[in-house]
Amino acid sequence: MIKRLKKFKLILIVGLLYIITAFFDLAVFQKALGNTLMFLKEMLEILPAVFILTGLINSWVPTEIIIKNFGSESGVKGKIASLLVGSVSAGPIYAAFPLAQSLLIKGASIGNTIIIISAWAVVKIPMLIVESKFLGISFAATRYLLTVPGIILLGIVSEKILSRCEINAGTQREKQIEIDKIREILPGYNCGSCGYDSCLLYANAILSRNEKTDKCKPGGKEVQLKLSGLYYG
Amino acid sequence: MNISTILLILLAIIALTISFLKDRKKTIESMMSAKSRFIETATQVIGILSLIGLFLAIIPESYIKSVLGGSSIWLSTLYGALIGTVTIIPAFIAFPLSSSLVRGGAYLVAVAAFITTLTMVGFATIPIEIEHFGKKFTFTRNMLSFIFAIFISLGMGVLLR
Repeated sequence: MIKRLKKFKLILIVGLLYIITAFFDLAVFQKALGNTLMFLKEMLEILPAVFILTGLINSWVPTEIIIKNFGSESGVKGKIASLLVGSVSAGPIYAAFPLAQSLLIKGASIGNTIIIISAWAVVKIPMLIVESKFLGISFAATRYLLTVPGIILLGIVSEKILSRCEINAGTQREKQIEIDKIREILPGYNCGSCGYDSCLLYANAILSRNEKTDKCKPGGKEVQLKLSGLYYG
Repeated sequence: MNISTILLILLAIIALTISFLKDRKKTIESMMSAKSRFIETATQVIGILSLIGLFLAIIPESYIKSVLGGSSIWLSTLYGALIGTVTIIPAFIAFPLSSSLVRGGAYLVAVAAFITTLTMVGFATIPIEIEHFGKKFTFTRNMLSFIFAIFISLGMGVLLR
């Protein structure tokens, strides 16, 4: 119950602020409500689609494909691919986080993850048209010409600063869910025949080091099939 | 609804249909996890968006104009970048707003800084970003994006002179 309340803490506080505002100045309250409804409309248009796609990528796209196209070995092609993935998507920056996170977990490099997030937020052809309409084509075009190389540079610089293991803290929860899925399939004898001391360690190795799925002796063919089903469809 | 939103929704529907035809059980499972993650993110986002909505209603547009067109172009650019950092406004509103700011006497460079940080740096969404990527990633990305945005707008100042 308390945990539930904590989740809604911000909404409750903001709700209170709205009520106070309504008492003091009805016009401001109405304007704020108008703003919020407009923002929420934008959110509801985009977020469900983003989460559907993220869920589908999680269960269908094999890790190797992500590593090959967006991993740290993917080079210039990976950067261009990330720029494209980001720029064909729609919506505000927070809509990019779930999708970028699942790509990161599946092996995309940090730099490419940042390129995807930034391109998602900034590089948009329809938005370029709106921008030229309101601020002039030379303004919009110059901004894009500077921003696109800027984003790629941003990816390269952050790749140097950040290391994967530091980020795992943020993605720990997601990783735990994946590990639990693997452990449910493994028999749980902790027999060590796979070369790892426990089923947990083996599950960890499958997830983070792409260990083969045929190592579990007690589980045999059945477990192997289930495990590979989990990751390679 | 703009064209990219419609395309994204169409893509999601098509992908979902194909997935459903290929493997019903797997699709339902993946949608269940998508649903719970959606609810979690949505509760956070709703609170933040309402706060920004209130904030923007209290601060009048004329105030932003005077800040972005102040006596010093450097300070105005910095303010532009800062205002863009703390707010999230959908881009289709940001552009008309920016154009009225420019007409109202704001510096072009300051407006460029405002638009660039508005889209790339998300102060308000930091809690959501931390939840997905951890603290260090979030702070590094936002700090670097802020610095890059300043350089981009200064570059525009030089090129558009």
